[in-house]
Amino acid sequence: MSATTTDNVTQISEEAPKTRSLWSNAFRRLIRNRMSLFSLFIVILVLLLAIFGPALSPYDYTKQDIFNTSQPPTAEHLLGTDELGRDILSRLMWGARTALAVALISQGISYSVGAILGAIAAYSGGWIDSLIMRLADIFMSFPHLLLAVFVSATVRRPIADAAYEIYRDTGVEIFRNTVMLDYLIVFGALALASWPWAARLIRGQILSLRENDYVLASRAFGATPWQIIRWHLMPNAIGAIIVAFTAGFGGAMLAESSLSYLGVGIRPPGASWGTMINESLVGWRMHPHLVAMPGIVLAVCVFAFNMFGDGLNDALNPRSSKG
Amino acid sequence: MTTYVLRRLLHMIPTLLGVILITFTLGYYGPGDPLQYQLGEQIPPDPEQLARLRELYGLDRPFHEQLVDYIVGLAQGDMGMSISVQAKRPIRDMLGTGLGVSLQLGGAAAVLIFVIGVPLGMLAAYKHNSLIDYIIVSFSAMLPTIPVFVLAPLLLILAVLQLKILPYSFGWEGLLDPRAILPLFILVVGPLLTIVRQTRSAVLEALPQDYVRTAKAKGLGNRQVMMRHILKNALAPVVTSMGFVVASLLTGSLFIESIFGIPGFGKLIYDGLRSFDYPLILGTTLVSSFIIMASNFIVDMIYPLLDPRVNLD
Repeated sequence: MSATTTDNVTQISEEAPKTRSLWSNAFRRLIRNRMSLFSLFIVILVLLLAIFGPALSPYDYTKQDIFNTSQPPTAEHLLGTDELGRDILSRLMWGARTALAVALISQGISYSVGAILGAIAAYSGGWIDSLIMRLADIFMSFPHLLLAVFVSATVRRPIADAAYEIYRDTGVEIFRNTVMLDYLIVFGALALASWPWAARLIRGQILSLRENDYVLASRAFGATPWQIIRWHLMPNAIGAIIVAFTAGFGGAMLAESSLSYLGVGIRPPGASWGTMINESLVGWRMHPHLVAMPGIVLAVCVFAFNMFGDGLNDALNPRSSKG
Repeated sequence: MTTYVLRRLLHMIPTLLGVILITFTLGYYGPGDPLQYQLGEQIPPDPEQLARLRELYGLDRPFHEQLVDYIVGLAQGDMGMSISVQAKRPIRDMLGTGLGVSLQLGGAAAVLIFVIGVPLGMLAAYKHNSLIDYIIVSFSAMLPTIPVFVLAPLLLILAVLQLKILPYSFGWEGLLDPRAILPLFILVVGPLLTIVRQTRSAVLEALPQDYVRTAKAKGLGNRQVMMRHILKNALAPVVTSMGFVVASLLTGSLFIESIFGIPGFGKLIYDGLRSFDYPLILGTTLVSSFIIMASNFIVDMIYPLLDPRVNLD
């Protein structure tokens, strides 16, 4: 124990003159790896597409043109049109926004809930700890995606009914917006299925970091628990949390598409890659490109986010990197 | 050993009850009145008939009574009736038939995953940093990220439309039918590569160990060192991923069976979702969580047998 501590001290004093921060070091390691550099490029591209795509998209993603359905790529429609004559490129761009928004927010919710519950469990111990962890066990004994599908399938109609009643009583427009409700349900369902992993990770981080000598020293000097969290726990745990967050990101995009594909996620008129695949699956023999395009885009994105997560893992936890 | 098994089983009871409580609350009670939605799809139901139906399904009784009834029913193997207008069969029977088909498909997939995956992983580790290793590793990073509902149509386009090497695979005539090839392949491909990766890193970890050097020094051939010493040690962590394999086979079957028209467990989930058959959705979700719990339990039972260092108590 003491040996590793002195190791850390010598390491720090060696690196100190170069004034390289944890983050710039990690960034250098990240871009040195060609695979992660490539995936970083795709990730940035998808981010830009999700933010600016809808403004740049050549057509309205809901605009139908029944005289030009299922067209192959043309000069007018760069990627062709789907079975309702909607421009595929525009729908893909809006789909990118859907996928990213859902992944970001559902991961955000699950990590916030996970952080709070994980921290409470780690700090209180005893029966509160076992209660929270047992609850996590319960949620983890479902197949992850099936739980999200189950939740979003069962709560959809009651929530839609409740929202409609609120709209009828108050007249506030937002409660009539079914796409909005779809989004909320998907956020909730995905977060509900994935918070136990976040809670376990954060609890484990706190429990193991807390035992370090520097935390003990800090406490001996009279640091308050909040100061210990800010000075020691957060900076040390943040790497692992960022890595897990990114690693789960591709999975969350995939889960959104899966829910939408099954008809319990973002439904039309909302645009989602999963819905696009489902809608064109019936005609796969006649118009294979309609299935292939959203499929390939989805696969490439998930792959890029996973690779990026792997690269980030190697960059932020150099000790854990595998040969 | 017996006390360990018993303690693990006892430990599962609260989790089991929690799972049942969550699924029942959401699946049976969450929709408010499942019948209302089911019938409302067709024609506005006659209130009197609706009341009779509600009584028939026990929906007019308070929540806790229904929950207790459901648990008592479960203990006797009864999972209620499907409320779908077309089916209206006991869910137990539907699940029985569905699981029969899916077990064949999933069982074959699981065997293939381990029989192909472990040797491939060993090969990759043994030829570490060679071309074979790179090919295996990059495939194992790429293929599992392609979702089943993307891989299936892409392979259909490739194998059926372009190359014309397979017949249009829709339907189910048993495992030996050529139509089973494509679904089985897709089901295997994702988890297979995880097993390859797991085996590879476990073997890589074992290679520089002292006992391997000792075995080599004793004059054992590569094959014998691999089989007797490395594999035995590397297998334990690979077995732990069986839980993961079962989960991905379950999730995969949902998409594969609906795309290829295979009347298995996954198709039941899909049909339940499509027809708002809440008791069926509840039943399938519950059974899939039972399967996960059982496979985790089995892994925990096997693990100490493979790795004597693990202490049961």
